[in-house]
Amino acid sequence: MREQLVHDLRAAYARLWVRIKGGNREPEWLIAEMIIPVLTLSAYIYIYKMLKAPPEFAGFVIIGGTMVAFWTNVLWNMSAQFYWEKETGTLEVYFVAPISRMAILFGMALGGFVNTTLRAITVLLAGILIFQVPLTLNEPLTALLLFFLTIIALYALGMLFASLFLMYGREAWHTANLLQEPVHFLSGSYFPYTYLPFLVQLLSSMIPLTFGLDGIRRVIIMGQGIGSVWPNIVALVIFILILLPLAKFALSYMENLGKKEGRLTLRWQ
Amino acid sequence: MAIGTVLRTIKQAIWLGWKVETNWADPLIFAIYYLIRPLAGLLIVGFIFVVSSVVATAPLDPSYFAFMFVGNGFFIYVSQIMMSMSMLIHDDRAHYEVLKHIYLSPGSLAWYIFGRALNGVMNASVSLLLTFGFGVLIFQGLLGVQIPIDWFGINFPVLALSLVLGIVCFIAMGFMLCAINIMTSRVQFMLSEYVSGILYLFGGVVFHPEILPSWGQAISNALPITYFLRIVRFALLGQTSITVELNLLYLILTMMATIAVGVISFKIAMYKARKDGLIDKKEEY
Repeated sequence: MREQLVHDLRAAYARLWVRIKGGNREPEWLIAEMIIPVLTLSAYIYIYKMLKAPPEFAGFVIIGGTMVAFWTNVLWNMSAQFYWEKETGTLEVYFVAPISRMAILFGMALGGFVNTTLRAITVLLAGILIFQVPLTLNEPLTALLLFFLTIIALYALGMLFASLFLMYGREAWHTANLLQEPVHFLSGSYFPYTYLPFLVQLLSSMIPLTFGLDGIRRVIIMGQGIGSVWPNIVALVIFILILLPLAKFALSYMENLGKKEGRLTLRWQ
Repeated sequence: MAIGTVLRTIKQAIWLGWKVETNWADPLIFAIYYLIRPLAGLLIVGFIFVVSSVVATAPLDPSYFAFMFVGNGFFIYVSQIMMSMSMLIHDDRAHYEVLKHIYLSPGSLAWYIFGRALNGVMNASVSLLLTFGFGVLIFQGLLGVQIPIDWFGINFPVLALSLVLGIVCFIAMGFMLCAINIMTSRVQFMLSEYVSGILYLFGGVVFHPEILPSWGQAISNALPITYFLRIVRFALLGQTSITVELNLLYLILTMMATIAVGVISFKIAMYKARKDGLIDKKEEY
């Protein structure tokens, strides 16, 4: 038991190291990942300026754009990761190693989180400095709690998706593509989701990012405290409690299915 | 090269592009896929307008919505062409390892790339029609946002002309991306995002470029997409404040400059790729 735990922790560390090293070895990637989100969120802020909306909406966009960086990382570097590994021929190496698959995913998640945090901080600072967004942060600990719960829930969702994407080829690529703008819209990344029609809000409530974004905005931009964002905290904890075991179950199920159908090492699908 | 060979190359490239883009799913899923992303983009912009209307102290001019609706809708051509042309060299060279075979075949690689770009144009056109249809249904039909487009008064000749000029221009930009991708590795994902992001911000897509700082307006004035969208809006919205002839002239001038840069950079890249042995360069696959 202890030996297995040590093996798994080592595997997670190794995967984390590869993720951090790989994610930062190309300076052009690093720069692109900091500049491109600023371009998009600037466009949305200018729409608000054109429509003469109150200045806090620029803050909503900046927080949304910052958190979208994590969602993008979850999609492409967690969910679709096993697809990449399959295409490059490294997936089978993971599967024959005497380690838990969840340890691999855990390492990827931690590495992805570290890399994305560096980029997200830059996006946040650039947005705040360029557009002079007013912040009213009264409870920084509540903001941090919401942030970490959102991140854990998002990466747990990424682990679940990773298992689903395990079997697929180009479908995985297209599905990850498909989960970008629609999730930005549903989660209210660039406007408060509370303005969406009720039925759409029901759909939005199935995405952890919705609750995280809403809570973080309330605390950082509107100066609210734990008294008003506790439902967001509860929702995020529920997401984590459901998604993590579900991801473990789904990974084991899809791995077995993949073995039966001989699709784990199938390239160029 | 004989015209017949060129046309055959383009036709085969379109067919191949269509197969690569579509054969991973059945037609219904494919159609949904090509609708959902651009529609979600339109919904984001549309809801920013809806939210701003709610919080505004005075009613907002519906022409703003039409401006954003048309700009965001026609931006599909940019995102689609950039995405398909940016990934093309990487996919064919490193992923499927067929670029060397295409290079050796009697048809020219440039015409093959052009054909693949035309496939992107076809897909973008389908996306545009679907997105416009559902966009009108959702915003005008369900949410009651007025879209001041006279669907029977559209100036089709001007629209068609602007589309042809704009698409040629975007394909020329795509050739620049192909040139960069031939010379480099692992930048294909960011290239299309960079170009799309810059054009989206500075091209007058969803807001008037006049509200940008002066340096931003200068960039906007140098981009063909700015004139392309102005002419499209003139054709669709009948905006009389726009001098269409002048914008057409600017579009043609910027298009010619883009084509020149695209063709020259692609030729230089191909020459260097042949010289340095990059045409069959392998990457991580």
